[in-house]
Amino acid sequence: MEQKAAAPAIARKTLIGQRIKKPDAPDKASGKTRYINDMALPQMLHGKVLFAGRPHARIVRLDTSAAEKLPGVHAVLTGKDAVGLNFGFVRDNVPLKSIVRCEHDEIAAVAAESEDIARQALKLIEVEYEDLPGIFAPEDGARADAPLLRDNFPGNKSLHFAFKHGDVAAAEAASDFIVDSVFRPHHVTHCCMGTSCAIADFDDNGKLTIWTQSQYPYNYKMDLAPALGIQPGDIRVIQPPVGGAFGSKLDVYPYEPIAALLAKKTGRPVKVMYSREEEFKASPTRQPAVIHMRTGCKRDGALTFRSADVLLDNGAYTSWGPTIPVIMMRTTSGHYRVPVVDFKAQAIYTNNPYAGSFRGYGNVQTTWATAQQMDMLADMVDLDPLEFHIKNAQKSGEYTPQKSFLRECALAECLEAAGKASDYSRKRKEYAALRETPGRYKKGIGLASSIHNAGGAKIHKSDGIGTILKVDDYARVTVISGASEIGQGIDAVITLIVAEELGVPLEHVTLVNNDSDIAPWDVGVHASRTTFIAGNGTRRAAQKAKAQILQSAEKFLGEAAETLELRGGHVVRDACGTPLIKLDRLLRQMHFQDEPELVMVTDYYEPKSEPEGASHISDHSAAYSHAVHVAEITVDTLTGEIEVDRITVAQDVGRVINRMGLEGQIEGGIAIGLGYALSENMQLERGLLKNPSFRDYKLITAPEMPPLDMHFIESDCAEGPYGAKGISELPTIVIAPAIANALYNATGVRLFDPPLAPEKVARAIADLRQSRP
Amino acid sequence: MQEITTYLAPRSLNEAAQAMAAGDVTVFCGGTDLAPQTESGARQHSACLMNIRRIEGLGGIEEKDGDIRIGALTTVSEIRRHPLIARVAPILAEAAEHFASDQIRNVASIGGNICNASPAGDMINPLLVLDAAVELASWADGAVQKRSVPLENFFTSPRRTVKRAEELLTTVVFRKPAADFVGRFRKSGPRPALEISTVSVGVGGNFSAGVLRNARVAFGSVAPTPLRARHVEVVLEGRRLDADVIGAALVAARDDARPIDDVRASAWYRSHLVEVFLEEALHHVRGN
Amino acid sequence: MSVEIEIRFTLNGRPVSARIGPTMKTLTLLREQFGLSGTKYACGEGECGACTIRVDGKTQNSCLMFAADCDGREIVTIEGLKTPAGMNPVQKAFVEHGAVQCGFCMPGMIMQADYLLGNNPQLTRQEAQRGLEGNLCRCTGYTKVLDAVESVARQKCCGQC
Repeated sequence: MEQKAAAPAIARKTLIGQRIKKPDAPDKASGKTRYINDMALPQMLHGKVLFAGRPHARIVRLDTSAAEKLPGVHAVLTGKDAVGLNFGFVRDNVPLKSIVRCEHDEIAAVAAESEDIARQALKLIEVEYEDLPGIFAPEDGARADAPLLRDNFPGNKSLHFAFKHGDVAAAEAASDFIVDSVFRPHHVTHCCMGTSCAIADFDDNGKLTIWTQSQYPYNYKMDLAPALGIQPGDIRVIQPPVGGAFGSKLDVYPYEPIAALLAKKTGRPVKVMYSREEEFKASPTRQPAVIHMRTGCKRDGALTFRSADVLLDNGAYTSWGPTIPVIMMRTTSGHYRVPVVDFKAQAIYTNNPYAGSFRGYGNVQTTWATAQQMDMLADMVDLDPLEFHIKNAQKSGEYTPQKSFLRECALAECLEAAGKASDYSRKRKEYAALRETPGRYKKGIGLASSIHNAGGAKIHKSDGIGTILKVDDYARVTVISGASEIGQGIDAVITLIVAEELGVPLEHVTLVNNDSDIAPWDVGVHASRTTFIAGNGTRRAAQKAKAQILQSAEKFLGEAAETLELRGGHVVRDACGTPLIKLDRLLRQMHFQDEPELVMVTDYYEPKSEPEGASHISDHSAAYSHAVHVAEITVDTLTGEIEVDRITVAQDVGRVINRMGLEGQIEGGIAIGLGYALSENMQLERGLLKNPSFRDYKLITAPEMPPLDMHFIESDCAEGPYGAKGISELPTIVIAPAIANALYNATGVRLFDPPLAPEKVARAIADLRQSRP
Repeated sequence: MQEITTYLAPRSLNEAAQAMAAGDVTVFCGGTDLAPQTESGARQHSACLMNIRRIEGLGGIEEKDGDIRIGALTTVSEIRRHPLIARVAPILAEAAEHFASDQIRNVASIGGNICNASPAGDMINPLLVLDAAVELASWADGAVQKRSVPLENFFTSPRRTVKRAEELLTTVVFRKPAADFVGRFRKSGPRPALEISTVSVGVGGNFSAGVLRNARVAFGSVAPTPLRARHVEVVLEGRRLDADVIGAALVAARDDARPIDDVRASAWYRSHLVEVFLEEALHHVRGN
Repeated sequence: MSVEIEIRFTLNGRPVSARIGPTMKTLTLLREQFGLSGTKYACGEGECGACTIRVDGKTQNSCLMFAADCDGREIVTIEGLKTPAGMNPVQKAFVEHGAVQCGFCMPGMIMQADYLLGNNPQLTRQEAQRGLEGNLCRCTGYTKVLDAVESVARQKCCGQC
């Protein structure tokens, strides 16, 4: 017993806010990780899809006989095999089409022994089309004389949303200044490095196992089932490691039911994987929009109203894209204190590619508008924008007109931190004064901010998560969680939280989260929700396990559970840290006693948020957060090239959980936002994509990435795990308008249609210079 | 799809030239152009595929009799880092600096970049400024025969050259520039590299006492082929490089550049960039 | 039928041979015949660097390299960077610095970073940015990748810091 008394005390230390390695990083860095794209099953066939390659047409003749005869071909499917298998939000999609409505429409699919044979078979399929007049802009589709693309959608009208608060006419009349502009956010796409891929296999009981990149395994079953004519319960979803998702895998897209239909027909596993060109053409886009926005304010700078009339290019089918008004209206009404709001949005069917969800969902587009109008209004009022923003910033305890409750609101702190760190106000004045002086290179600084849900978003009936946690006889912990890992790092967060609560080494925690037959319910990786929701679920489960362990410890040690704690793999006295028993030993004692017990707990966490609802008046997220970006740029006024010199970020993160993961999410989110702002652009000509390759669709590369100065504001969210808020969409949302505002500061050019690509900028500057005397 | 019945990886020029004399051969070195072009279906293989990367004596950079000779197999990376090029023709190293990516520079050959005959070929522009010629080898009368073609006359249209099917480009040659030679290369794009040039402009000549002699100007991506800007050269030749002459050169550039609209840029922007880059390059030369 | 070619080469330090078609690319050869799935397909046209391998000491995009050209050469893939002692210093640095998110581009990124550091142990951040311009990443914004590369360069420069 003397030895025990001499055991050194284990000090209390927290992992919260530390830098934690991603558990899967070593295998990824050594090339060992088997992504879905790397997988092959015995007997597996390869599926390939024949795309229409034209935007709107009737299929006059389709002959697959030669393809079927090709040796090595096991199945050929066409639209005839998919009649009635409607899926999607408004059931307007089928896995294989009988009418062509956009370039990438899937006309036929082949399963063959190899990709090469499948590709050859596609070439043998004869199709004759009768091209039909198309609609390539929502404005055209909305015209009274526009051709009707679908019988059951009069006026080509897809989804419609509206929210109104207060008397806009009165607010307009009472405004001293009004800005009125039309913004045109464009088509961009996710560009996951791992191309879209699914492997499907039916067992002889008729149950489908689908290996997929899906980032929402449970609702996915519900969405996939109608595309196959089977029950959601007959689908098992397995999520192998994926090469990125960013929202692109938040819905069912036709290649997935196609893989399953081919598997059903052949009785063998079938893998469908896109080439990069197919990925560009056939995977979802970010939702483009035409946003007519008006914002007003008083002479003293107080905002009076904001209205937005939004037209959305629905594309040929309805996925998440045209649902973005749900978030657009939250930003329109809640980005600063907006007393009067009028928002309406109408999606119009066209023959363009269609949009899914994409990191920043709707808010990238809206903030592009609101943050530029804030900058414009500040100049009209003649206030330093920073002062103007702070004046209108909402504070803790306030509501937005839609009843989003800003319990902890750190917008003003974010503004102050970013403004100070970047010396924003001084530089903005200085650069503006130099704007019209001679000189080819001009410096500019721009500030933008936004609000986003940071505690999930209750757009489904549930926004919850199930967690199962077990601690075995060796004190190894397994967490079985619904939370999907798509590269964002929830594995590190869950590991960290378990280690924090149970005092075990990080390496002793295993996460199982990739099989819908094992892991419990979750609504998926979206709405910046996973750290918040899964973090809470994990913490609650771990605390239940801890309570059970400490209860037993009380029994074995004769010391009150409240005075005990788990630390460093031991049960310790909380006050002094004296280790009393090794955790694994205690667990074995619990297991092998007369009334044996195992530590295995379950938890279901449902955040305290309200369903979105048809009125859109609800506190739909359990938390909200703000971020402010200040971009400093140098513009080559002749070539129009923008070099981003530095970005200052201040974001309300609630509480830092895994510092390294948090930084990584902000850096990566900004890179996507920079691409949106500067270079990425799907060049569509009458519905056909002209640049389906990385050669001409330009992602940000390493030399273009500027240094970032990051400031984390910790508002300590009462509802979040350890005070944390969701963080990963705001970085993508805020950066683009900060650059646009900086461009204006540098050159006097204000552009409403992204990207701010060199040619567009050069032309605008040339035009502006010509218009000056 | 064409079946490939023969794959050759000759070690000697004789072998290669004989194979090319015997029939249609698809030639490649690094494969960085051929691979994507054939994968996308933009180009077909011949029945005979020949990798010339192993031919001895077709690589390397040397100075001989006042000429700089660059073997066709020399990679862009070698040019980028070569001390002789850095000393006598830094304009070529400058273009190599902005060529594709490290992984492509490590394998893409100078000969391949020329034979690919893209209007945007980045190594071609500085070679036009250096007034380079290419040597073409073919097999006739039991021996390798060679002829030399000025690079300026080599290109006929996009992806087409005067090189006959049985000819192999072996060497790029240019006179070693005199000590007062000044050259400048500029291509567009916010990225330092990994960018198909929207426009490239090269300017060179012997510059002393404020006067540019043997002025040579080349444009890329503004016409069906890379070209020498002869109108600009006439304006510049032997003149004191002052603001008036530079202004006149910019006006003359409109007669040389005949750009089109495409997915990468409009004709307006290309013409605009030609003027911007030409002015920039001429000011650099003047400041030298 | 197209002709078949027999090739022999060194793969991650071991002599190997293969029979291949004349247009097969090295990426396919590595993935499908040797099961080396660490080398990734992400664009197939040399624009993204996910398939970067080392050939006779220099990196290149294996999607552009004709497999026939492997004959007689020394090829190293991401699987060959590891030593019996574990991950090499570049791999370790990527893990330690949080450079890995989805990780799909990382084998190529690490191959290129390792090559750059091998050529220039005192690589600066700017040089690393240029050297990695042919490797696209959609997750990380490159910042932590560059941190990792810089950390290895620092270790190599004095062994102390």
